[in-house]
Amino acid sequence: MNRAKALAGAAFAAPAFALMLALLIGPLLVLLVLSVTDYRLGALAVRFVGLGHYAALFEDAVFRRALQNTFLYVAFVLPGAVFGGLGIALLVHARTRTRSFYEIVYFLPVTSTLVAMATVWQFMLHPSLGPVSAAFAALGFAGIDLLNDPRLALGTIALIGLWQQIGFNMVLFLAGLSAIPRDLYEAAALDGAGGGADRFLRVTWPLLGPTTMFVTITSTIAAFKVFDTVAVLTKGGPLGSTETLLYVLYLEGFQYFRTGYAAAMTIVLLAFLIILSIIQARVIDRRVHYA
Amino acid sequence: MRRRGLLSALLSHAVLLAGAVLMAAPFLWMLLTSIRPPEEVFGAVFNLVPTRFAGIENYGAALSQSNLPRAMLNGAIVCLGILAVQLLFAIPAAYALAKLRFRGREWLFGLVLFGLCVPIQVPALPLYLGLAQAGLLDSFFALMAPFALTVFGMFLFRQFFRSYPDEVLDAARLDGMGEFEIVWRLATPAALPAIAAFSIFSIVAHWNDLYWPLIVVTSSGRSVPPLAMLAFRDTETGGNYGALMAAAALTTAPLIIGFFAARRAFLRGITMTGPR
Amino acid sequence: MITRKTFLTANLAGLTAAVAGLAAPGILRAQTAVTLDVLFANPSFARFFTPIAEAFSRANPGIRIVFRQPAPNYDEQHQALLRGALTNQLPDVTFPGFNRLPELARTLAPRNQILDLAPLIAAEGAAWKDANFSPRMLALGQVGGTQFGMPFNASSPIAYYNPELVRRGGGDPDAFPNSWDGVVALGARIKAAVPTAMGVSYYINSFDSDWLWQALIQQGGGRMLGADGAVAFGGPAGQAAMVLARRFVAEGGMGLIGDEQNRQQFGTGGTGIIFDSPARLGVITGLVGGRFPLRTAPFPITDATNGGVPTGGNAAVILTRDAAKREAAWKYVKYSGGPEAQKVAVEMTGYLPTNLLAEGPDFLGPWYAANPNARSAAMQANRSLPWEDYGANGPRIHRSQQEVLTAVMRGDLAPPAGLARMVQETTAMMRG
Repeated sequence: MNRAKALAGAAFAAPAFALMLALLIGPLLVLLVLSVTDYRLGALAVRFVGLGHYAALFEDAVFRRALQNTFLYVAFVLPGAVFGGLGIALLVHARTRTRSFYEIVYFLPVTSTLVAMATVWQFMLHPSLGPVSAAFAALGFAGIDLLNDPRLALGTIALIGLWQQIGFNMVLFLAGLSAIPRDLYEAAALDGAGGGADRFLRVTWPLLGPTTMFVTITSTIAAFKVFDTVAVLTKGGPLGSTETLLYVLYLEGFQYFRTGYAAAMTIVLLAFLIILSIIQARVIDRRVHYA
Repeated sequence: MRRRGLLSALLSHAVLLAGAVLMAAPFLWMLLTSIRPPEEVFGAVFNLVPTRFAGIENYGAALSQSNLPRAMLNGAIVCLGILAVQLLFAIPAAYALAKLRFRGREWLFGLVLFGLCVPIQVPALPLYLGLAQAGLLDSFFALMAPFALTVFGMFLFRQFFRSYPDEVLDAARLDGMGEFEIVWRLATPAALPAIAAFSIFSIVAHWNDLYWPLIVVTSSGRSVPPLAMLAFRDTETGGNYGALMAAAALTTAPLIIGFFAARRAFLRGITMTGPR
Repeated sequence: MITRKTFLTANLAGLTAAVAGLAAPGILRAQTAVTLDVLFANPSFARFFTPIAEAFSRANPGIRIVFRQPAPNYDEQHQALLRGALTNQLPDVTFPGFNRLPELARTLAPRNQILDLAPLIAAEGAAWKDANFSPRMLALGQVGGTQFGMPFNASSPIAYYNPELVRRGGGDPDAFPNSWDGVVALGARIKAAVPTAMGVSYYINSFDSDWLWQALIQQGGGRMLGADGAVAFGGPAGQAAMVLARRFVAEGGMGLIGDEQNRQQFGTGGTGIIFDSPARLGVITGLVGGRFPLRTAPFPITDATNGGVPTGGNAAVILTRDAAKREAAWKYVKYSGGPEAQKVAVEMTGYLPTNLLAEGPDFLGPWYAANPNARSAAMQANRSLPWEDYGANGPRIHRSQQEVLTAVMRGDLAPPAGLARMVQETTAMMRG
């Protein structure tokens, strides 16, 4: 009986495993190999360059800038996405009749096609003809150009990213909040827990631990993958201030065809993603246990 | 006590409404501009209501001058195709991971967890090279193949199947049902909520995907909504923002309408991606 | 009575009918035999590519033209073509920008993926060639002496201006400045008179190619590359151009915004003077609507002897290796370069016609009479210089040059330092 089940199990898993080899493991191995060669798309001869690309990456001003921009972007978006999502979820959770309305409105940006909405944002942020600059001018802040000013462009892209992400996190937190049993709050009240802040710190926040961890990790990974808004709105400009890792990767791999170099860059990106996921899982896990 | 309740409720609403306005503003602006005649598009902040209803011309222009209709058809084909293949491969694998002991099960699950950290942009380059070698670029196959594997789906369904009662499965086995039958006739129908939720998640992700189609699509015949939207924007050069906003509305409409129609399923789908 | 004869005749008739029936679709198939896969850049150019293709198909029923998703600009088209060469996805016919044609030809010729048009032109006869094309025009499509491209669209930069703003700035709309000092001064006066407007906008910080930047250097007598292929814009012409770039912002009332945004702002009366391709005349006229009487003027050229302007535009090249398709493609390319097609293209845009006959009374003569704005480009046809290319890393070089220009125009970098950095980066990228 167990033999039959084991065979069936292997048989069921085999196709998916084959796909993993073809679509995940195989490509990663190819990337590793490519990253130590000087292959350019269409080249006839290929040479081994060892870790040359990796060394060149960290000397490459464009790559370093992209790395910096991406980290800045994540640093900007992450707190807003996580705590903003949590805050909105807490407020919405308390509503009864208007809850559906808020759920819908906050979730709209998540379902929308970002390319289309980015085009809308492009119009709205037009320095002289868009409503946002008109609003700024009316408030006395004339001359603010959110997309063309190298100091502001990355922040603007980050705000749009936040706009798109926050509803998603809100829904996750709402689910997490719904899973907290009422009696815990009653127990806390009996224990002498006072107002809202106290209940939050004693009951809500610790029990949201797993949700918070999940939200943080997915938000981080999503932020690292920022591409659509850059491709649609700024193409990396102005002055390279919005060139993020993925965009530079796209340019190197699919526009300039420096395949070996792009492969090395991809490995670095993957390394960052894995490290970040592990760190976050560990850190939040520990905090959840101690809380 | 009641006054404090009222005050906090008011504050709540104030904050939520302010946020809601920010969330909804682009949609409202998009819709407003899409019914506006070209001469009124700029400087419209202070005249919110257009003097002339130009919706028909704008949406007409968006439909006829852009590649959107074709692209949306392709989008539907690609999304449904991807979903079908994903379910076909992920459900049995998830069942096996959850319910059947076989050699290498833990390794496979480890691979699944690893795969969760790897976005499509990572294997994109080798996959592109492989498809190019095979002469399969710019085809439906190229658009769908990389997504046949869904580690996320495998993870999700495994979680679901783990909580499926073993007794039911044992009873079915005693009745003489083979594992294959059990997966498709018993487990899958029971997993319908998870499948529905996953389907929505998958369709939304692939309808909106820009990166991969940008790389593999060259002909207009294989365009998908994000590409058609970009192409139309480049064509319009600001000459007709009304039509451009109409195109944006059309591109994002199917999902938004779907969301309104199946809101519970959408939200449950997203929720199920969360931790248990 | 059925005799043997009638039996045979009947069968023969039936057999003939059957064979004819089988052959008929074959005949039809032979007639709609060829489909040409065509790629061009600038999606807004569909407004003339499409009608030209339709007119061509009507005149040549056996040939169908199918357009690929147009590339956003010449650089992205170039990348798509290079990618296509390596993945066997080249279109049958494409229209590369003049500055990318040499690199494209250099890459494709060794692989026999681009067709030499000289034999085909010769087959048409010398009379045809002389009547339709000037040697200067044909030279635009030549790479190292080989005629790879048939010039399709040609242009040189012009000024577009708003006569009302010019008047408010104390200038004379009928006498547009013919020196850059004059342009900057006029821009400053416009800005002073209308503080919310931009005086003059020379948007090399966001233009989709380096064409306008090359123009600034070439008009001062400089060249981007020397005869030895080395970077040559580090001299006085380059210095002057860099200083001028900064002056637009510092004195001329220019703000640094995107290229589309610039055209939109000009169209809504927010900028006094812009410089752009005459190819955009149709688009800009549409943006202006009826807000003000749009006018154009020739590009100021400082160096009267050596100065010129780079010829923008594109040429038709044939990439397919299939004999039947090559024949069809040549018909299409010939048609595109012919007077009817050129008339359509020029009327839709403002490009210079590449065909001599097209300027005649049967085609564009009356149109030029009715559209004086289009004449500015034609007036500087004798100042056309090649649009220079940097080889394989052209698009990357353009991105880096644009960053330097933006930094200089913002005032973050002094012009001489900016020029030095641009020379250094361009040289480095040309090598690898």
